[in-house]
Amino acid sequence: MSDPGPTLAPSGSQPDPLSEAVLSCSGVRRSFPVGDRRLEILHGINLELRAGERLALMGTSGAGKTTLLNILGLLDRPTEGSVTVAGEDAWSLSPRRRANLRNEQIGFVFQFYYLLPELSALENAVLPAMIKLSRRAYRSSRKEFLDRATTMLTRFGLADRLRHRPSQLSGGEQQRIAIARALLLDPPILIADEPTGNLDRGTGEKVLEILLDEQSERGVALMLVTHDERLAKRCERVLYMEDGLIQADSSAPIPT
Amino acid sequence: MFRTFLSLRYLKARKTNWIGMAGILVAVGALVLILSIMAGFLEESRRTLRGNLADLVIQPSFQSSVLQENGKWVPMQTDVERMLEIIREDPGVAAATPQLQWYGIFAPDGGESALEKPMQDAIQLIELVGIDAEGEGEATDFRESLEAEFGKKPGLGKHCNVGRPADLDDPFVNLRDQRGRRSRPKVPILVGEQLAYLWGLRRGQEVSLVTATYDEASSKLNETAANARFQVVGSFRSKDNETDSRRIYMDRRALADFLQRDRLWSAVLVKLKDYERDKEEVRARLWSRLHAEGFLSAPGIRINELRTWEDFRATLLAAIQNEKALMGIMLSLVLVVAGFTVFALLSMMVTEKRRDIGILCALGATPRGVLALFLMIGLWEAVIGSAFGALIGVMGAYNIDAIERKLSSTFGFQIFNRDIYLFDYIPAEVSFSGVAWIVGGAVFSTLLFAAIPAWRASRLDPVEALRHE
Ligand SMILES: Nc1ncnc2c1ncn2[C@@H]1O[C@H](COP(=O)(O)OP(=O)(O)O)[C@@H](O)[C@H]1O
Ligand SMILES: [Mg+2]
Repeated sequence: MSDPGPTLAPSGSQPDPLSEAVLSCSGVRRSFPVGDRRLEILHGINLELRAGERLALMGTSGAGKTTLLNILGLLDRPTEGSVTVAGEDAWSLSPRRRANLRNEQIGFVFQFYYLLPELSALENAVLPAMIKLSRRAYRSSRKEFLDRATTMLTRFGLADRLRHRPSQLSGGEQQRIAIARALLLDPPILIADEPTGNLDRGTGEKVLEILLDEQSERGVALMLVTHDERLAKRCERVLYMEDGLIQADSSAPIPT
Repeated sequence: MFRTFLSLRYLKARKTNWIGMAGILVAVGALVLILSIMAGFLEESRRTLRGNLADLVIQPSFQSSVLQENGKWVPMQTDVERMLEIIREDPGVAAATPQLQWYGIFAPDGGESALEKPMQDAIQLIELVGIDAEGEGEATDFRESLEAEFGKKPGLGKHCNVGRPADLDDPFVNLRDQRGRRSRPKVPILVGEQLAYLWGLRRGQEVSLVTATYDEASSKLNETAANARFQVVGSFRSKDNETDSRRIYMDRRALADFLQRDRLWSAVLVKLKDYERDKEEVRARLWSRLHAEGFLSAPGIRINELRTWEDFRATLLAAIQNEKALMGIMLSLVLVVAGFTVFALLSMMVTEKRRDIGILCALGATPRGVLALFLMIGLWEAVIGSAFGALIGVMGAYNIDAIERKLSSTFGFQIFNRDIYLFDYIPAEVSFSGVAWIVGGAVFSTLLFAAIPAWRASRLDPVEALRHE
């Protein structure tokens, strides 16, 4: 396969092997009913994402990366195995607690941005706060969240796009709003599934710079699916996935 | 928080939701308007049904004795003055007056002729009602029935040649003849307008009445004694056609003389200060008071002894009430249609918004939150739609007469024919509790219908939903 060699000089902070896992899964299998049989897509995956680390997940199309991310992001339930977020076994919790974990612990960035078309850029960015808080709590902290989102969007170069609807914005702009949305509540985990997959090269690079800058600045653990080897080289750890299994882990041979 | 915010945003941004709102508005508006007009018509019918009945009618059974609570029998009292005193003491009573009621046969050409040829159109059973003119005016609509404008009713009034009595305050006075002298004393009577018309009676005409009384001493019918001449001194028109075609008023004492009876009364009519509010209370109070004094049997034993006017018309009133309820139920189907519109629109929306639902889940919305979001969309539509609908319906009901006149004159044909009803306007009665029920029903029905798509939305698998492009 490719070279998981020691050339992977991380650009940012050194990974701390002692830092605890913010997200982990063990023995995760996932099968789907196809016709009258079940087709297994993930064949037992063990994985740990440590606080603040930058992890790239690579693999051919159809390897099961998105399926795995959906499971790690608590959107999908594994057929077997467990997922632990913030020290809690997510699928033994109530749906409400699990939803809270998604809301507070995990930020999502999708390939297709997934903004709500009826909301403005700013409203899309503060949506996680609206979901998290009761009406009363939101009313008292509304300004704070709007300020936070405005600051972020301004930093991302969207100062004059705050009131625009997603349909009035370019793909790159939309993805930057999605990043701001994912980071609004300062989650310890950020999951990004081919965030630049739908963007042209130049735009994609700009968006990636923003994503990586924010990641290292905030110390949020990033799990990134990408097909870009150069991008993978900027990550501390690279996992290669094939046919529903993790075939190689670049961190294994890294000596400290 | 996102539920309120997003539901309002969806409502604002998606114009199709306004169709649902408009549907509810029209349904609630129409329901309020139609039920108000229905209620108006029914209320008018109720008034017609009431006719000239007094609020309360007390008709003792005149037995020899009354069983008291303590198990003792006391003689039944018949002193009407004492009875009136008790009744007038009650704080809910406005007025009370005694009546003496009897029946007779009307024979304008002399009593003998009536009995000789007892043909159906020549013999008519008449209600002979002996009254105190002044007290009757206070406790009933008697005074108004004398003042009624004659000749107004199409095809009828102009043939009634009797007219008002000379003195409305003292109607039972013999008329003067051509030479200005009062005619030989005959009993002055007031006849119903229809009766006068049917028999072609004239003012001042002398008529005979035949009746029979029961002589308790000899246990014999006594009919000839009660055959006397009367003078028609005026006519009246009450609110009840039946009454107008068979009732004759005369002075209470004159009737008692005619009947050769000692007891001058058979019933007491009572008018209440606020009938609708106090009827049950006053009825109960009077009943126990009059029973304690020996005038009536114990409350509830002889239910005919003390009746409200509604008791006299119980069946017809129940029919009206029933009609009202039936109408309400049938018209409520409109709400179901409106609710169904909301159901269809929300179902479309849930299908269309699958991806957004997935996004909300990914951002941490609970299934219950998603359910609430879509329910709230339905709720806003119901609340806003039915509020405006109720407003429009109420305003329409208050102005329906003017609206109908406007429409009639604009389109050049009569929508509501005022000649065929007893009232010359479109009656409408807005009941605010009724409006509240309709609005409540609309909200409830909409929420019920909205619950189905909302539940479907909450059950969506977020991964599936997100894959949806
Ligand atoms: N709900 C599903 N039902 C059946 N097969 C599925 C379902 N979801 C994903 N798959 C299959 O699982 C495999 C992995 O998909 P995915 O995780 O999207 O791959 P990747 O993101 O690595 O390209 C694919 O072959 C896909 O067809
Ligand atoms: Mg994928």
